[in-house]
Amino acid sequence: MTALAPAVVAQVTAIEASLLAFVVLTALATALARDVLAAVIVFGAYSLGMAALYTFYRAPDVALTEAAISAGVTTVLLLVTLAKTSRIDHDAVFESVNLPAAGAAGLLFAGLLLTMGDIPAIGSPDAPVWSNPEVSQWYLAESYAQTGVENTVMAVLAAFRGFDTFGEAVVVFAGGIAALIVLHREAFA
Amino acid sequence: MSDEDTDMTDAPSENATDDSPTDRADDDLPPHRAAPRSGRLDSERRQGTPYTESQVIMPTVKVVAPFAFTFGLFVTFHGSGSPGGGFQGGAIMAAVVFMIAFAFGIEATRNWLANTVVVALAVGGALAFAGIGLVPVALGGAFLQYDLLPIPILDPVKYGMEGVEIVGIAPIVSGVLMGLFFLLANGFASDGGFGTGESGESRDDGGDADDNAAVADGGRDARGATGSDSVRGGGDR
Repeated sequence: MTALAPAVVAQVTAIEASLLAFVVLTALATALARDVLAAVIVFGAYSLGMAALYTFYRAPDVALTEAAISAGVTTVLLLVTLAKTSRIDHDAVFESVNLPAAGAAGLLFAGLLLTMGDIPAIGSPDAPVWSNPEVSQWYLAESYAQTGVENTVMAVLAAFRGFDTFGEAVVVFAGGIAALIVLHREAFA
Repeated sequence: MSDEDTDMTDAPSENATDDSPTDRADDDLPPHRAAPRSGRLDSERRQGTPYTESQVIMPTVKVVAPFAFTFGLFVTFHGSGSPGGGFQGGAIMAAVVFMIAFAFGIEATRNWLANTVVVALAVGGALAFAGIGLVPVALGGAFLQYDLLPIPILDPVKYGMEGVEIVGIAPIVSGVLMGLFFLLANGFASDGGFGTGESGESRDDGGDADDNAAVADGGRDARGATGSDSVRGGGDR
């Protein structure tokens, strides 16, 4: 950890640092906001920051999913749910900090921080993606030849792991059916 | 305009008990401002769908919606060559429907986009995905073995995957997300939350499916009435 930390700090650019600060601040504001509506809106901003961060770390597929599902759809569903429930007017903007809960969260944060030293730096040749080239490099080398698709993520999801993707699609479908059952309804619209 | 909805669904006892002071205070406010009441639950005032015709949101959505929908189609159809795919594209297309619902009213959107469309998207997507997977099995191969798909001229592997993304995953995701949105906008069928009121008793008294269907139909009729109200309000302008 001590050997790795200066190299990691040196690589953090200004835009990356500002995105990380934005994500941390919006996460804290989500946890501390007294008004639920404000918490939902700030949580949408947090998801948008995470999507930008994923784009910055060259995971555009994950960023698209985060922006569409988490920032867009989840925020809208939470807003619609809030409109059906009750809302209390508050004088205070922020919740008073619950010290036992904050302590538990701090302990979890410290425990997670202890594992940071074992995570390889971005682009490091020690990362498992590069240290096991017989797995990951095989997909990068063979996916276009075997499927004719340029996007390796889609090749893995739809072809090499197609059965898993079928299971995920059925899970999404079953989620809609479960919502019908929970809400005692027989039609979506 | 939106006060009619809330008045229709208010409990009659609530109207009888506290009618005059708070209601007059509410009517003096513009429709987009919540009434100042400290520490009081206001769920009984907002049982209907909150909707105000905004002169900012409606033109903005009119301009943005075609581009956002086209972007969703692009992400879905071009997922093989660029980031994206059926899941992301379906979510974007469902989000366009959410935008339209927020701008023009959830009830009006619900009437425009019938339940048949939502169910057909979700069920048809699941059946199409399973069908594309099972055709190679019928031809003696494995599940989702794309190279056995009977696609002439074109590469069966690439276009089998495109078919899974476009007619399988994207309709499932967009249909289910739209369905969740409309379901949550409706709330419970009993309108009473968890186990309050007599509809909960009728649900518990044992397996009478007609009873539940009658309750659901009553709720749907009431919602249809409010929806037609909002449609007529839009036509008057």
